[in-house]
Amino acid sequence: MAPIVNIENLALGFGDSTLFDNLNCQVEAGSILAVVGANGSGKSTFVKTLLGLQAPISGRIQWPNGRPAEIGYLAQLTEFDRRFPIRVRDLAAMGAWQGFNPFSGLNNTTRDRVEAALEMAGILDLAEHPLHALSGGQLQRALFARVIMQNAPLILLDEPFSAVDQYTEQHLLSVIETWQSEGRAVIMVLHDLSAVLDHCTHALLLGNGRASFGTVGDILTPDRLVAQGYMSSSQASWMFRGQPNEEAN
Amino acid sequence: MFDLISEMFGYAFMRRAFVVTTILSASVAPVGAFLVLRRLSLAGEAMAHAITPGVVIGFVTAGLSVMSLLFGGLIAGVGVAVLTAYLARNTILRSDASLASLYLIALAIGIFILSAAGSAVPLKSFLFGSILGVDDASLILVGGVATVTLVTFALILRPLIMSTCDPVFFESQVKRPWIVDQGFMFLLVLNLLAAFKTLGTLMAVGLMILPATAARYWSGTITAQLGLGFLFSLLSCWLGLTLSYVLPETPSGPAIVLVAGVIFILSALFGPLGLRGQFNATRKT
Repeated sequence: MAPIVNIENLALGFGDSTLFDNLNCQVEAGSILAVVGANGSGKSTFVKTLLGLQAPISGRIQWPNGRPAEIGYLAQLTEFDRRFPIRVRDLAAMGAWQGFNPFSGLNNTTRDRVEAALEMAGILDLAEHPLHALSGGQLQRALFARVIMQNAPLILLDEPFSAVDQYTEQHLLSVIETWQSEGRAVIMVLHDLSAVLDHCTHALLLGNGRASFGTVGDILTPDRLVAQGYMSSSQASWMFRGQPNEEAN
Repeated sequence: MFDLISEMFGYAFMRRAFVVTTILSASVAPVGAFLVLRRLSLAGEAMAHAITPGVVIGFVTAGLSVMSLLFGGLIAGVGVAVLTAYLARNTILRSDASLASLYLIALAIGIFILSAAGSAVPLKSFLFGSILGVDDASLILVGGVATVTLVTFALILRPLIMSTCDPVFFESQVKRPWIVDQGFMFLLVLNLLAAFKTLGTLMAVGLMILPATAARYWSGTITAQLGLGFLFSLLSCWLGLTLSYVLPETPSGPAIVLVAGVIFILSALFGPLGLRGQFNATRKT
């Protein structure tokens, strides 16, 4: 698959404080990259750097085919104003912002796309509901519908399952796998290692000032998870019990 | 009732007052709605004080003319808005603390100059406006500001909704998100200046915030919020002017804002998103 973004010797941080350095990785179309790490390791900072919201300390982010005109983005739910007076349908339509015309409403094609996006996200029955009436899981589905509307080749999700139940998580993971099958690249910050193991092709593990990138099988090993401060030795032993790698013991 | 209306509209200054406040309502309603939705209600109040030194310097140097108020106020207001954004982006202070610091400095400068200018400044008109003495130039100012405001809103409404509802998403998608933010602050300053002459420094923000907060108790969509905010604003102006006419000692600015205050209290009590809605929801559970 063709690479969408190449990252070379990237170092991120704030002022004199470096979160991690020397990150080299490549994200290809049709891949799902999980960004994993302890709190404060730089996961959200990495996502915001890709979006251009934050400048790196050093290193390069290269877009072989040019930076996509649109990058799908789902921020953490804590950054969203749930009291804003719009309907679920309007929130989803925001994803088509590039086609907005100040002198007319949405055209029929866009309206149909909104319907399809809401259906795919499993929230079509709540299309007319105001945002403040939604549960955390329903709001996350509505935000997924907005990402679907963006129709972007690269999609960045920052902790997409932090406020949702298992049923919703499974549904949203199926949406992400649909994106993968359509040849889009997905980068998502996750804490649930089982979701990473089951659904992601690559992993970026951040912690203790280091960044490790590779396939999920290569990166999510007990040794690395302990060495980069993601979990303790005993937690790693319990999680990887029964597996041949016993070095964490 | 008909006699009262007939008598009231017999005076040219009352007809003029009704026309200017009607135009003003159409202009300030969307600004007020977004001030509330962007959680900038108190920033609007602060900005009303921040334009004081510009207005006072304009008055002292060029008299109580519309152009001196406009240019003086615009320079002070836009200056404070830009400095606030600069400090919030480049220092540890958030925008609320930056604005609070700068508007206090601006207000102190304004009051200092106002005091130094002595009794030549009509303080009561400065604080509470002079809606009953609106001249042609003021009418043109309010009409011009309303035109600029409504046309600008038509152009930036959707980006403004995006940046208000989900600022992080908006910043991630747009190359120059500050244009919408600063454009909105510019409209705020313009409307404060338009309301300044008629309602005064103390009351100017009242006509923006109270109808918008009252409308929030009734509306679940942005369209309803904007429409209802305008209606409440209009109602406040018309009833307030009538009240001021019936009770001649009552200044028109506070009368208008007081009516808006009554609408707000009624909305908080009986609006579906106010206390009644809360009470009904609690009773159901």
